[in-house]
Amino acid sequence: MSNSTQSQTKADASEQPQQQQKPQVLEEDDEFEDFPVEDWPQEEAEQTAGSAANGGNEHLWEESWDDDDAAEDFSKQLREELKKVEASH
Amino acid sequence: MAGQAPILDEFLGGLAVQIQNRDGAKLQDFLQIEPPLSDAYQRMIQELRERYPAGPQSDSGLLQRCEALVPRTKGGSSWTAFPTFMKLYFTFLRDVNTDNLLDTYNQLKGLLNQCVLALGDSQMGVIVLPTVLYLSKVLAKLAMGLDRRPELIAHILRMEGAMDNDESIEKVTLVEQSANVVREAFIKCLTDRTGTPGPQGKPEGKRVGIYLMANLCLKLLFQCGKLRNAEQMFASISAQSPPLAHFPASQRVTYLYYLGRYLFSNNLFYPALIALQAAYDQCHRQAISQRHLILAYLIPCNIIMGRFPSRKLLQRPEASGLTDKFEQLCRLIVRGDYIAFREYLSPSSPAAEWFARKGILLTLRNRCEIMVWRSFCRKVFIHGGFHGDLQAPAQRGPPPYLYLEKLTIATRWLQSQHGQTQRSNGVNNATSKFHFYGSQIIPESTDPDFGGLDGSETPTAQQLLEKYGDYLAPDGFFDGGGHWQDNMPGQLIDGNPGADYDAFELNPYAEATEDGPDADKQSLLMDEVESILASLLTQGLMRGYLTHRNPRFAIPGSRVRGALPTGFPNIWETIFAREREDDSVPGWVRPPPPGALGAGGGRVVNLSGARPVGVQ
Repeated sequence: MSNSTQSQTKADASEQPQQQQKPQVLEEDDEFEDFPVEDWPQEEAEQTAGSAANGGNEHLWEESWDDDDAAEDFSKQLREELKKVEASH
Repeated sequence: MAGQAPILDEFLGGLAVQIQNRDGAKLQDFLQIEPPLSDAYQRMIQELRERYPAGPQSDSGLLQRCEALVPRTKGGSSWTAFPTFMKLYFTFLRDVNTDNLLDTYNQLKGLLNQCVLALGDSQMGVIVLPTVLYLSKVLAKLAMGLDRRPELIAHILRMEGAMDNDESIEKVTLVEQSANVVREAFIKCLTDRTGTPGPQGKPEGKRVGIYLMANLCLKLLFQCGKLRNAEQMFASISAQSPPLAHFPASQRVTYLYYLGRYLFSNNLFYPALIALQAAYDQCHRQAISQRHLILAYLIPCNIIMGRFPSRKLLQRPEASGLTDKFEQLCRLIVRGDYIAFREYLSPSSPAAEWFARKGILLTLRNRCEIMVWRSFCRKVFIHGGFHGDLQAPAQRGPPPYLYLEKLTIATRWLQSQHGQTQRSNGVNNATSKFHFYGSQIIPESTDPDFGGLDGSETPTAQQLLEKYGDYLAPDGFFDGGGHWQDNMPGQLIDGNPGADYDAFELNPYAEATEDGPDADKQSLLMDEVESILASLLTQGLMRGYLTHRNPRFAIPGSRVRGALPTGFPNIWETIFAREREDDSVPGWVRPPPPGALGAGGGRVVNLSGARPVGVQ
């Protein structure tokens, strides 16, 4: 592995075959990289041109997620169990 | 000056022009230090080594030449920090030895330090701002690189460690040292008094560098885990910075990302949500990697406040890698299986490592379990509660309620379900059994050290010796007089550990009841269920009241809306209604509302510090 990113001002830098920029593949994911451009208009931040202005009309968050599906496995088993206990009382 | 090195001459001449023009960007362009350096720099380094070899004499010669760069005022040069910085720059180029990266680091830090001093000049300082930023970035990159690959300097540290072994001094890592230097530069930018300073001002002079330096400093502080050191930075920004909106998008987004993470780690979820949502909304749509990182914190922020990411959001390219982790978490919260939830975020779970690396594991574990319990109670109410007599006339008949015993039954059932899967997986853990120690709702000990406590028999001396032999029967001990005594192998120093402890109560939860052990174990679980429900009610995540004698959860006033929506209100709406009253985000300077800057009218003037005229 090259230690090139650490080797500031290496006098013989030209002799190094390659300046390897990313030796830490594992952690790279966690670093907030510098943006390649300094500034951009808000339009370029929007997902699609149509959904501009109010942060996009796309539905990004679920506020109601309670599960009322009685046929779902967990609910079904729970109901059986509660019934069973009730019957035995 | 005949005989002077031509390249160095040329270089100094070029520098002088840039300083005269006050062109900071070009000046920075001259002051390269990062390899690969072009041919011209190589030749200049060669010249420096020949003309000014290391030594005090040539160093002062160099300094003299650098002093000529700075415009002279009547009282001599006013910007003395700059020539010293330039001299350091030349000696850095001349002397740097990248075989010793620790030395390189220290030299670079010294160079940056001097440049920050030059930045402090009220007239000329702003010229070196781009250079300070450049050097800071190089230093940060080196420090973070060494932090990730400590083996590159381990041998050097070992050599120095032999001389400096004082454990009582807190070790300051290279990354933290760098953050400290960068913070100095940040302060110089923030406190620049040119133009209109403060929150009403525009980014001019050195203030254009406020967020560039702050972002770099925050990156370093996050890397070295010293988030607390950022607090003062955010406070000074709140007090002195122009509005963030006046700065370029890249700086805004980066800053809001770090600010959001900082607020998140301080459990300020709503301000964090605002900051991270703004970072996400303003981030360039093609900056996938940055959007990905913002989402990695924006999503848990929302989950904790009761709002889950939609399919649409999770299908976006920047959500790749996040989808399965968070989807599963949300599924478990909805299902109400608190044991599966705990398992998902337990140290042995593969997902936990990822959550931990992001620094959100403990927060999610601590903050989301209450939502799981709400779902669980809700389901038990749906399938086992009394939903009210819809035929009865208003004001008649009892309100909908749930016997808490149903919850304890469901809890035991859930435990037995998990016990079965564990047993079938070869884990011998009778989870649905009553526990003598600790919580009744948690099927296994939180700490493996306490794992054996539920064993019904007292361990034999032999078992104890096997497990704790190094403590019970060590090779020797100090007697009362402080003299070392050898011990026979296997000899118990303090006598037989199997002694009778009946006289002592070892169970911190023990409470003698007259109804015998069976009633005891029921009431212990009931106590816990009651306390969980009380917590849900206090937080507004469930609505109604509890009765303690004949334990029930009752939902009054549900005739219009129905028992479920009344007793189990929407979490997001509940929390949002509470939090929205204050949508200020500490650390985020926003422009004063329109009109507030008008000519006095309607402007609030704080007179708390004012004194009556004439009072001394």
